[in-house]
Amino acid sequence: MIRNHRREIGIAYLLILPFVLTYGILFLWPTLQMVYLSFTDAPLIGPGNWIGLENYVEMFDDRRFWTAVRNTAYFVALTVIPNTLIGLAIAMMVSRLKGWQQSIILAMFFLPYILPVSVVYRIWNWMFNVQFGILQYPISAIAGESINVFRTQWMFMPAVALVTIWWTCGFNILLFLAGLRSISPDIYEAASLDNASRWTIFRRITWPLIWPVTALVLTIQLILQLKIFDQVYLFVQGGRPDPSMVMVQYIYSVAFQKNQGGYGATISVALFVIVIVFSVLQFQVLRARGEK
Amino acid sequence: MSVAESRTTALADDTTARGRITKGLDIGGLILTLITVIFAVLWAFPLYWGIVTSLKPESQVISKTVEFLPRTWTIDAYWSAFVNTMIGRWYLNSLVTSVGVTILTLLISATTAYALSQLRFPGRKVIYYMILASFMVPIAALIVNHFILMAQFGLINSWLGVIFPQLIHPVVIIVYKNFFDSVPKEFREAAKMDSASEWRIFSRIYLPMNWGITTALAIVTFIGAWNNFLWPFLAVSRPEMMNVAVGITQVNDAFGVAYARELAAAILAALLVAVLYLIFQRRVTQAIMLSAGVKG
Amino acid sequence: MKNIFKIAMLSSVALLTLGAAASAKETVVWWDFLSGGDGVRMKALIEQFNAEHADTIEIQPTTLEWGTPFYTKVQTSAAIGEGPDVMTYHLSRVPLGVESGALAQIATEDLAGVGLSADTFPAANWEAGQSDGAQYAVPFDIHSIILYYNKDKLAEAGLLGEDGKPTGLDGAENFMAALEKLKANSEIPLSVQTSGDGTPWRVFYSLLGQQDGVFLGEDGTFFPDETIPKAVAAVETMASWVEAGYAPALTEYENSVALFTSGESALHLNGVWEVPTMTDLAAKGELGFEWGAIAIPTFFDHPATWADSHGFAIPNNVGKEVSAEKKAAVLEVISWFNKNSLAWSDAGHIPAFTPVRDSEEFKTKEPNATYSILADTAVFDPKSTLAGVASPVYDAVANYIAPAMNGEMTAQEAIDEMKADLQDQAD
Repeated sequence: MIRNHRREIGIAYLLILPFVLTYGILFLWPTLQMVYLSFTDAPLIGPGNWIGLENYVEMFDDRRFWTAVRNTAYFVALTVIPNTLIGLAIAMMVSRLKGWQQSIILAMFFLPYILPVSVVYRIWNWMFNVQFGILQYPISAIAGESINVFRTQWMFMPAVALVTIWWTCGFNILLFLAGLRSISPDIYEAASLDNASRWTIFRRITWPLIWPVTALVLTIQLILQLKIFDQVYLFVQGGRPDPSMVMVQYIYSVAFQKNQGGYGATISVALFVIVIVFSVLQFQVLRARGEK
Repeated sequence: MSVAESRTTALADDTTARGRITKGLDIGGLILTLITVIFAVLWAFPLYWGIVTSLKPESQVISKTVEFLPRTWTIDAYWSAFVNTMIGRWYLNSLVTSVGVTILTLLISATTAYALSQLRFPGRKVIYYMILASFMVPIAALIVNHFILMAQFGLINSWLGVIFPQLIHPVVIIVYKNFFDSVPKEFREAAKMDSASEWRIFSRIYLPMNWGITTALAIVTFIGAWNNFLWPFLAVSRPEMMNVAVGITQVNDAFGVAYARELAAAILAALLVAVLYLIFQRRVTQAIMLSAGVKG
Repeated sequence: MKNIFKIAMLSSVALLTLGAAASAKETVVWWDFLSGGDGVRMKALIEQFNAEHADTIEIQPTTLEWGTPFYTKVQTSAAIGEGPDVMTYHLSRVPLGVESGALAQIATEDLAGVGLSADTFPAANWEAGQSDGAQYAVPFDIHSIILYYNKDKLAEAGLLGEDGKPTGLDGAENFMAALEKLKANSEIPLSVQTSGDGTPWRVFYSLLGQQDGVFLGEDGTFFPDETIPKAVAAVETMASWVEAGYAPALTEYENSVALFTSGESALHLNGVWEVPTMTDLAAKGELGFEWGAIAIPTFFDHPATWADSHGFAIPNNVGKEVSAEKKAAVLEVISWFNKNSLAWSDAGHIPAFTPVRDSEEFKTKEPNATYSILADTAVFDPKSTLAGVASPVYDAVANYIAPAMNGEMTAQEAIDEMKADLQDQAD
């Protein structure tokens, strides 16, 4: 038994060797460096002087930093749960179909996911274009005039959230589809024989059984949206960057634009901590609900 | 395998099974299907609109009337992208790096996930936390460090230099581990009783059982690598080594009104992946269904 | 056998010498950020250079995205020695470029050796390429903002003088009155970018310069006290155009150009780099009206126009030695382009090289000749590491001045907050 266990360990180490090498060089080392940098005043590239907690003190006083934290939280609230629920709803709708109908409908929902963010940006920016965009027709019908959506402060985040959901839902749909398929149809048969309504079936059967996938999707979504950058960066171009800045965007601006590598590292550490805290919190919440 | 077969047939019948909820004509079901179709059309509209716009001449793009089909079809916008750039070379670079990233990532992730899921060894928890941690760190924070590292290895402006940092893809490991975890223990125990080696168990049982999710993960990884902008942008300064996502930002041959041209360039960047997906789409869906069927 | 051997030897020697002769050609890796109408002109110039120097120097150009992407790329590449041999650079960015160690110093003796010196460029321009008295960039052009106008619409509103050029636009109130007249034939008489940075900065800085306002004091204070009312007046003027409905609210760069080229707006405030756009559209018959361009009106005390300058700079490629031949080739490139900058003026820019600017050909070139008077009263960006293209100053414009233009905050608020913001970042 012991010999077997030792063999098991040996094989395990062999299996994880590529991982350890890759992640060691490309993750562990740079992260440690990032933490170190946060205590210095280094520029983007090159060494700096040790300044202790100065960066952290500055960060707590930094108005832009807190704006970025708030905006990131706002964006997370706008996307994580809706993206998950919409993904589940679409997956359920799609799984009702069969054959080539299902293939086409699924493709229509999934295609946005394969697009690079630049395409997503250009298409939606064009559709919302205040002078020539096609969405201005319904908008002016409702609001009475054309609205420059991405330049109207209160609309900016919700609009970017909408685009984000449109773009990334495909991944969630895939996961949910895989999960839905694994629910034995016998259970559904039994329910239908009891004349249960669609809603009851969903609530009593589908939802609990799909819970592991839902929890997984929620977790992934939370972490992904906390790190949001591309869409916000692109859609704010030509507008007012500060009020809607999110955290990764702020890191980019500080590190690359203002050449402050040390301070950028400090904000990165802060974001890292936030992500950990929220993920752990969410994990506890999900686990508690799962046990219900 | 007959278990899977019967499951698949059962799946096909599932609509009928639920349809029998109300006797006779299933109005609820029909309405749901209608909603699904309408929703799908609305969902796909932006893509359609982007393509249509890119096929119109610029002057018609900014016309005052809405035209769902171009009055004049033109590939001018695409032509200027082809003629003015090295898009062929960029496609090659994208292909090589994306395939490289996909294969290597899947390899590293599957083996690691298997070890985490099925084997016990000291440091297991540490590894797991490291993976979670890597998921939580924003890439923008590490990217400069990657740049300096690749420079030290002399890998700037090379395929390997573009591939390497992209191998940090913790989602793949997490998903793989999840699916490996839910493989019923009986399979492993039976195999162990037959004195199968870990490698055999891994390659003959766990991997094939999760072929569906492997395909899905491969697609997702490939797409991510193909569309990656920030890292390839930093890692490459010579135009002949750029990938498509980076290269097309160079396609601006006029200030002023260039909506169709911008869209055309952007669409070109996405075209290959879109076509590949459409071709293999049925295979993908089947794979997902199959994997779910066997999982029971 | 021996014969074959001899032939092989001879041919390889021949090939080697030919190869050596061919590689006597120096390659110059060139990065620029010029896409758009002027990018096309630049590519033509590069081709001409390569043709004229077919055996000696070859420029290998790459065009990168304008703004932060370009400057980030330069910095990161230079830091590992992978930067280009020469690059275009906004002179307004020189302070930040020097501070981040991205630029290499250029010796004035070397420049004199190829005919470039302080005497061959306008004083302010030459100085803009310096930091602490050392030269880091060589000017190439001066670009500014001008007033594009729709001749047909202005004639209709009675705003064209006898020389066919617009009249009655000088003075803030006269300008408003003119806009009112133009309302008759244009729903939006004045098309100007009112969202983001770029044009709002350029117009603001011009208006400030027309009042002799000082943006950045010698002691490092942004908006010194005497300047604040002038800055507020400038922003209020800009806001008044939008408020009265003469200029479009929340309009971005591309849309502002489209408004003019589609014939909707009679006037358009924008940079000289759109001149080739107008020329090309008119040549293709797609413009639909006669267009012209003049220096921007004097709204306040005296004429002044914002200007920046494209220049050539050499990156500080860490760890890479520059050979004497390479240095000579780069100097030749910089010198040739300056001497041939007349062709560049097709892109709307004003050549910085004085002999070209003073030449007959340039003096008669339209529309440049009409507005090149602005070179005399040009006000260049403040010299600060926070200023220049894609800098915190540009961001501050997008965050404060543009919203003030649209009535989202008062002019006073905008200036106060902008001052606080920039001062905060300077410390």
